[in-house]
Amino acid sequence: MIPENVMNEPSWYELSARARINGLLDAGSFNEILGPQDRVMSPHLAFFDLPPAFDDGIIIGRGMIDGRPVAVAAQEGQFMGGTFAEVSGAKLVGLLRAVAKSAGTPQAVSSVFLLLDTGGVRLQEANAGEMAVSETIRAILDVRHKGVPVIALIGGRAGAFGGGGLVTACCSHIVISEQGRISVSGPEVIETNKGVGEFDSKDRALVWRVTGGRSRVLLGGADSYVKGDISSFRKAAAHARNSVPTLSLETLEHEQERLEQRLSAFGDCRDTPEIWTRIGLPNPAGIADLTEDEFIHLLAKEEVRHDAR
Amino acid sequence: MTDWIKQKKERARRLKEVVSLVSGKEVQPADVTALLERVICSGDRVCLEGDNQKQADFLAECLTQVDPSQVHDLHIVQSGLVLSEHLDLFRLGIARKLDFSYSGPQSAAIARALDQGKIELGAIHTYIELFARYFVDLTPNVALIAAVSADRKGNLYTGPNTEDTPTIVEATAYKNGIVIAQVNKIVDEVPRIDIPGDQIDFIVQAPKPFYVEPLFTRDPAAVTETQILMAMIALKGIYAEYRPRRLNHGIGFATAAIELLLPTYGEQLGLRGEVATHWALNPHPTLIPAIESGWVQQIHCFGSEVGMDRYMSARPDVYFIGHDGTLRSNRLLCQNAGLYACDMFIGSTLQIDLAGNSSTVTPDRIAGFGGAPNMGADAHGRRHVSEAWLKAGHEAAGSEGPLVRGRKLVVQMVETFGEGMKPAFVEELDSIALARKLGMPLAPVMIFGDDVTHIVTEEGIANLLLCRNADDVEQAIRGVAGYTPVGLARDRAKVEALRARGVIRRPEDLGIDLLQADRNLLAARSIRDLVTWSDGLYAPPSKFRNW
Repeated sequence: MIPENVMNEPSWYELSARARINGLLDAGSFNEILGPQDRVMSPHLAFFDLPPAFDDGIIIGRGMIDGRPVAVAAQEGQFMGGTFAEVSGAKLVGLLRAVAKSAGTPQAVSSVFLLLDTGGVRLQEANAGEMAVSETIRAILDVRHKGVPVIALIGGRAGAFGGGGLVTACCSHIVISEQGRISVSGPEVIETNKGVGEFDSKDRALVWRVTGGRSRVLLGGADSYVKGDISSFRKAAAHARNSVPTLSLETLEHEQERLEQRLSAFGDCRDTPEIWTRIGLPNPAGIADLTEDEFIHLLAKEEVRHDAR
Repeated sequence: MTDWIKQKKERARRLKEVVSLVSGKEVQPADVTALLERVICSGDRVCLEGDNQKQADFLAECLTQVDPSQVHDLHIVQSGLVLSEHLDLFRLGIARKLDFSYSGPQSAAIARALDQGKIELGAIHTYIELFARYFVDLTPNVALIAAVSADRKGNLYTGPNTEDTPTIVEATAYKNGIVIAQVNKIVDEVPRIDIPGDQIDFIVQAPKPFYVEPLFTRDPAAVTETQILMAMIALKGIYAEYRPRRLNHGIGFATAAIELLLPTYGEQLGLRGEVATHWALNPHPTLIPAIESGWVQQIHCFGSEVGMDRYMSARPDVYFIGHDGTLRSNRLLCQNAGLYACDMFIGSTLQIDLAGNSSTVTPDRIAGFGGAPNMGADAHGRRHVSEAWLKAGHEAAGSEGPLVRGRKLVVQMVETFGEGMKPAFVEELDSIALARKLGMPLAPVMIFGDDVTHIVTEEGIANLLLCRNADDVEQAIRGVAGYTPVGLARDRAKVEALRARGVIRRPEDLGIDLLQADRNLLAARSIRDLVTWSDGLYAPPSKFRNW
């Protein structure tokens, strides 16, 4: 028989950034800021004989989820690897600053969603990209400080690598699917610098065992785990919007403590199944092979919760 | 007096030379090179089992270590020249002459070695053509083969990847040759006997299991909307028109797209049970959704595929499974099935010329033929009829009657621009330039134009069966060649006339909605989806995972 979840639901992993926004927000509620018709494009790519995109690979704007106003930014992972660059970075930072500024006014939004899908900084405009990452981090913390949660949705093809991994870790809440990946140095980068013996980027099972959605949520590097279809992301987004603590010194101290404990408990492990063995999870080597329902059941049963953010 | 038992005496002499190196039939890995130096003589024909999937890789490594002053001028006769060790034999002067079928990853190295005169090339064959010559004039003196396990009597379990082994052993063992098998494990009892021990002279437990290449796995995530459109055109314009029940699919993404559309678009067209019920096909993971949805009654396999074994074992109504519960494949028999028992072959190629000849040769690569030319050829010895076969024959003849025989449907699917935006349609095949350079009397052609019945591109179908002369064929091909130089040089009036005759059919002529060509139409959009469809039985190799 045809598995329903395979046949019927568009997958987040597959969809374009624009289609993800359309599936996430209430129908017809999205108002884009600096859309493709404005043609605010990268001034750098032409030097490299590379085609620019009318939206520079990021879509920003406001809309509604279940009737509540939200701000949203989505990276298009299929354009230049969804990279942080001068224009795309400025659009994202501008959106976040506007959200911080509007907090407490009638224009306020209830939360911000970052649909990250990125390999990190765009190498062709690396200085601007690095600046964009740090400005984004600062802007996220400002928004959180105003009491507005910033929620990362991770499940795109490019994952959330490089600066994208840092930005993700600064969010109040991280929703991830099985295909989603979060890390700072990407698999190819590690292999190039440290050799294939350290990390074989072609061993995709290894890549996902280390950076993938299931490992991240079990380790507390992500807070919610969803199936990879768009309606599951939408449900998780609606649920996550007000369930997160405000950024404060106490929150950060808790997070620091959690990370220190994690490092001392598992710092010497070479691969995630070793960690699962120490935690005492059943069948540590078979976590990746569980069905989605089995894994979600495992999460619920083991009460794997590290929500210190 | 004529000596009629020279071969038998020579075999006995060689076996006597190695008595000190063996215990029963068993040889220690460290002694294999010494054994090879004594049982192989200069000038021998040697089959070093290697095909497009499994490799007797340990024996290959040992053979490269023999002393070239003792063993040289070997004539290598094997279906696949795939490992770097295979090329080393020629580089080191151990081997000189070569007859083969397929080279895959070594295609560039072979072209270089030929150019440098390191290899004396006999011929490039199709699989069954080479197997046929094993029994006529290319019989191996020594065969070095691979199996999963052996007992101490030499009985072999070749398992799901049986492939060429029975054919090689049959030709060698019954003609006074010597057969040496590397096995993953020597056991007390094999799960089933694929090759009886009296045909095997020596066994060695290799340090590592033999290598198997996953060759038939196409990731649904990489199927494009253009390929989906082409698959819709093929399903509606060919499967629904001719109703081929027995068929073979090539290994490209275009046919993977068809497999993934059977349970969705094929179902919408009402084709389940009407087409594609019986197959000569490798275990394509992309066929899992169609099998699970009840499309497929039976599949015979050339070889196995990494990760598919457990799934196939659990579907013995569909696959050929031994009493031990694992797949039995056989390349010779499956190629024969593809040639004689199938109504249709459909597959991709790299280049097509104006007469419909196709080739995968590029100026610096000789990939060989493998099995496609047998699948993609009308079998003139066929006598049984089927609806699809007769319909194709009647279209070709332009008439019906008791003396009008059928035709196999041979369908080529190509995007007008291939990888690297290279046009798939050309005025002259690159293989002709290659033949000129290497002095070959016959250019390597994968499928000759007179065997091709249809060409499918994203622009539509060219039905060559309905063409009545060379000009019709040329304009029909130009008429589906899109924006390639060949396509732009079409005679527009003639192309429209061919369209009016139904020789060319566009998606709109077939009532296909272009907007429906969407990835959401695929029954599986990722390898993970295939695992889900298989109920967790399909275990894809790591390089295809994204979880």
